[in-house]
Amino acid sequence: MGLNTLGVKIGGLSLNSPVIMMSGIFSYGEVVLDYLDYKKLGAIVTKTVSLEPRKGNPQPRVWEAPSGMLNSIGLQNPGIKAFIKKGLPAVRKNGIRIIVSVTGNSAEEISGIVNLLSAEKIDGIELNLSCPNVNRKELMAAQSPEMTWLLVKAAKKECGRIPLIAKLSPNVTDITAVAAAAEDAGADALSLINTVRGISVDVEKMRIMEGGLSGPAIKPAGLRAVYDVFRKTGVPLIGMGGIASGRDAVEYILAGASAVGVGSGFFSNPFLVDEIYRALGDFLKNNGIKKLSCASGLLNEKEKKQAGQPRRKRKV
Amino acid sequence: MEAKNLTVCRNARLAEHLYLMEFEGAFTPPALPGQFIHIKIDGLFLRRPFSVAGQKNNRLAILYKVVGKGTEILARKKGGETLNAIGPLGKSFPVIKKWKNVYLAGGGTGIAPLIFLADKLSGEDVKITFFYGAKSRGCIGFEILPAGINFVFTTEDGSYGDKGLLDRAVCGFIGKNGRPDVIYGGGPAGLLKKIGRISEDFSVPAFVSLENRMACGTGICYGCVTKIKTGSGWEYMRICKEGPVFNTKDIKWD
Ligand SMILES: Cc1cc2nc3c(=O)[nH]c(=O)nc-3n(C[C@H](O)[C@H](O)[C@H](O)COP(=O)(O)OP(=O)(O)OC[C@H]3O[C@@H](n4cnc5c(N)ncnc54)[C@H](O)[C@@H]3O)c2cc1C
Ligand SMILES: Cc1cc2nc3c(=O)[nH]c(=O)nc-3n(C[C@H](O)[C@H](O)[C@H](O)COP(=O)(O)O)c2cc1C
Repeated sequence: MGLNTLGVKIGGLSLNSPVIMMSGIFSYGEVVLDYLDYKKLGAIVTKTVSLEPRKGNPQPRVWEAPSGMLNSIGLQNPGIKAFIKKGLPAVRKNGIRIIVSVTGNSAEEISGIVNLLSAEKIDGIELNLSCPNVNRKELMAAQSPEMTWLLVKAAKKECGRIPLIAKLSPNVTDITAVAAAAEDAGADALSLINTVRGISVDVEKMRIMEGGLSGPAIKPAGLRAVYDVFRKTGVPLIGMGGIASGRDAVEYILAGASAVGVGSGFFSNPFLVDEIYRALGDFLKNNGIKKLSCASGLLNEKEKKQAGQPRRKRKV
Repeated sequence: MEAKNLTVCRNARLAEHLYLMEFEGAFTPPALPGQFIHIKIDGLFLRRPFSVAGQKNNRLAILYKVVGKGTEILARKKGGETLNAIGPLGKSFPVIKKWKNVYLAGGGTGIAPLIFLADKLSGEDVKITFFYGAKSRGCIGFEILPAGINFVFTTEDGSYGDKGLLDRAVCGFIGKNGRPDVIYGGGPAGLLKKIGRISEDFSVPAFVSLENRMACGTGICYGCVTKIKTGSGWEYMRICKEGPVFNTKDIKWD
């Protein structure tokens, strides 16, 4: 399978590969891993950057969970100014497409940070509305359609021609309502899902560890979110949550994703990117499908057709 | 760094809770003392990090203690089975030619990287004194101790060597024999912190290998960070990337 069949367009952004390294999984893209074939990565999303530097959470930050892990990194980052000055040039050296993940507590903060980035040579901005590890007592933006709308709108105003992706949380009653709000406010694409809130109990030390659950344990939740949001919105989806094999990635595409996000499964399996790339190519070949975009949401479309609904034209 | 399958060629219980696992299949580039490998264990999501305890020809060794699920599974591995490992990872112990009189101080499995370092240094014109602290005589892995090196043992119950804690033995030794050029350390945080104090008190540089729970092992997730002093205060730095070996004067202990 050549590069073209697996090439995808996500909110105006053309990628050679549908495999994207997700936020928090790959530092800022500056780390060189000898065993990773960077050509098979469509893009990387940086660790989330905030306006001001953040030290991040105290130890412990990572914990084994059944079929996954909990993390509580707490958005450690040098702040947007230091990132632009030192971080960005280092990533660019790797010659890979960069989507910068950003966060902020208010529309003003988001405007400020996106404004600073809009002058930079980057390929996309992902608005992280869904980190479970800061301000645990408050709602995440992605838990409220109104707040989501407000922040996406603020970012959209400032990002110019840079594609804007909104990253949503599974910790909601109805993710499709939040997704619709993000689309309505101008998001060019959506990333789903971020981690599922969880705790682990340490019986010996009589304490808990709070964090975000990721890994195979959350794959069904991620698939559900992608499947449901695909029907309610017209923007491309980057599907993630528990992808640990090439087959998992195929499932996400069939459920409605245009591209797939590699997350904590990469920590376990250093060859995951290659495996996904190969499996997607094989899937197209074995089913006589010309392009990956033709496979996105096939299951969804099938169900709609049975229900007598028209196929909805999706934006790219 | 590489990610590859290593074949277990020996998995032996050396002492109470202390196991030695030897693999066929070294890494390119070869590991340096202080570096670690990140091992995938079936049934667990996160890999587990272990210091390289030795490397010769095409063989690599780790020393481990059974403390939980992962190490329990490791202890049951048989010769011929394979394990996927990423390595070598992290920064090694700095070694400078003019350091001719070196102390190694390790407690429990913290001796693992020091055994490797002692092995490397013993070919050079260096005087090595190895301080080895353990709970009791039954916990000491005598088999893996390199020959031709001066050992000082301490046990918590006094069943072997001096009774008491390792840092006291190091201080006492310095009192009698003078300062070394450098101290290298590994083991529980409490011990490493005390090595830091000795370094300060006697103005001797000291380098220790820190441990924390890890996810990626390669510097991409920021899970294993520890507080490191910077010009203006401190910052969380990655044990897997900026460490695991740190100069004790840079570590901000909690
Ligand atoms: C750079 C580095 C080098 C290491 N070298 C060695 C070594 O040479 N020999 C050795 O025996 N161990 C070493 N460790 C510690 C080893 O990684 C842990 O003991 C191991 O991961 C425990 O796995 P488990 O599944 O058996 O325990 P778990 O079931 O995960 O946990 C059981 C207990 O182990 C502790 N623990 C878990 N993970 C770690 C960790 N990464 N670091 C410290 N404590 C942990 C937990 O606090 C808990 O009390 C090293 C750790 C690091 C970071
Ligand atoms: C260690 C770690 C750090 C993460 N940091 C971020 C982050 O900074 N911003 C963000 O949007 N998502 C972050 N995530 C969430 C992932 O991008 C992803 O959405 C989630 O892990 C689900 O995918 P997975 O199950 O494949 O890991 C982080 C995840 C992990 C495991």
